[in-house]
Amino acid sequence: MTPLLSFANVGKRFPDGGREITVLDGVSFEVEAGVFVGLYGARRSGKSTLLRLAAGIERPDTGTVRFDGRVLSTMTGSQRGRLLRRDLAFMASGDWRPNPGESVVDHVAMSLGSEGLTVRDARRRALGALERVGVTATCGSEPAGSLSLAERTLVMLARALVHDPRVLLVDEPAVMPSLSDRNRFYVLLRELAGERNMALLVVSEEMGALQGAGVMMSISDGEVCTTEERGTVVPLPRRSAGGAERPGR
Amino acid sequence: MAEATTNTRGWMRGASAPLRGALLGIVLERPGHGGDLASRLVARLGATWRIDTNDVYRLLDQLVADGLVTANEEPRRDNQRRTRVVYRPTDLTENALTAWMETLLPREPVRLGLHAKLVVARDEDAPRLVAALRDYERECLRLAQLVAPTTHEMRSWTALVMDCTRDAVWRQLQSDVDWAALTRRRINERMRTRER
Repeated sequence: MTPLLSFANVGKRFPDGGREITVLDGVSFEVEAGVFVGLYGARRSGKSTLLRLAAGIERPDTGTVRFDGRVLSTMTGSQRGRLLRRDLAFMASGDWRPNPGESVVDHVAMSLGSEGLTVRDARRRALGALERVGVTATCGSEPAGSLSLAERTLVMLARALVHDPRVLLVDEPAVMPSLSDRNRFYVLLRELAGERNMALLVVSEEMGALQGAGVMMSISDGEVCTTEERGTVVPLPRRSAGGAERPGR
Repeated sequence: MAEATTNTRGWMRGASAPLRGALLGIVLERPGHGGDLASRLVARLGATWRIDTNDVYRLLDQLVADGLVTANEEPRRDNQRRTRVVYRPTDLTENALTAWMETLLPREPVRLGLHAKLVVARDEDAPRLVAALRDYERECLRLAQLVAPTTHEMRSWTALVMDCTRDAVWRQLQSDVDWAALTRRRINERMRTRER
């Protein structure tokens, strides 16, 4: 079976003053549909770079990143853009950029702009996505710029989900100040992934944010360490007791 | 401070003291047979404690010997002709648990097997150490997978304390992964310097 997302010997370097630093070095792993993969790494360990490569936002210097068998770096900009509006969703806390005065519903609906929907249908889908993540219709009519950090995170999740993606990439979900808000968000992420058979690739500098991950990875010095022996991430039966998920062999 | 409840406070000492204390609390919450108590203990502490059921019976025997728990054969609910041993708290249990809560738990000594290897490692062991650190990092990630995720609102006291326990495990594993990664980097840097 073709993995949904795969990294094969991926390397990435960035200039740093007069020299180059290696951010990723020979990274290989695969993600199958419906699997939750958690990547732990300290600050500046390269985890966000890995996620941007997975989304096709950046290109690797060496190796290949494939989505559903297609090499992302050989796709045109518009093909990658289409992919990001359909099969792949990328969510990063720093990407909150609503237009001035835009309502929450419109902020979510706007991301459906190129799918040939009427404004009414786009808003209906946006409302459905917002409702699923727990944002009420009342809140939906508010200006997006007035939301709290916790509400913003939920709206960003709705914006990512409204396309019904096959893979959701989440960069640092542990940004909400309240622990209970964070826990609710982690539970919601897992529920949504389960409902939609959606793969999750979540990166965080807090291991607790990756709770429930079927596969755990860590990154340091450009190298990825994974609980899977050969760097292959496959869907496995979930353990019922205690709700934890464990990979098998 | 709560009175010491038995002849000695010996049950609060030794490597198994935290497990004995937690088991005492479980019995005080609700009596049960050994298997039931063991599964409740595992559910509370999490799979990362790797509790062996046989150990639970051994600890229960110690608590019975100290007069903190009774063990009596009682008919099974599902089959009155058969019996099983049910453990119940005694008059001393509640005060013993309070006394344990008030004891100072000293920080356990840091006895990571890798420390021992590191202090006697020779230059030529560097690649072996890097591999061992990598394996240790992977083991920490596997342990992190064993931690049951939060599935509920933390409104009840039990849910809150269980979540704090989970948090302790994650933070400890996270710090171990950070340490292993940093140590690998330092050793790798030295190996590269020596190669030049």
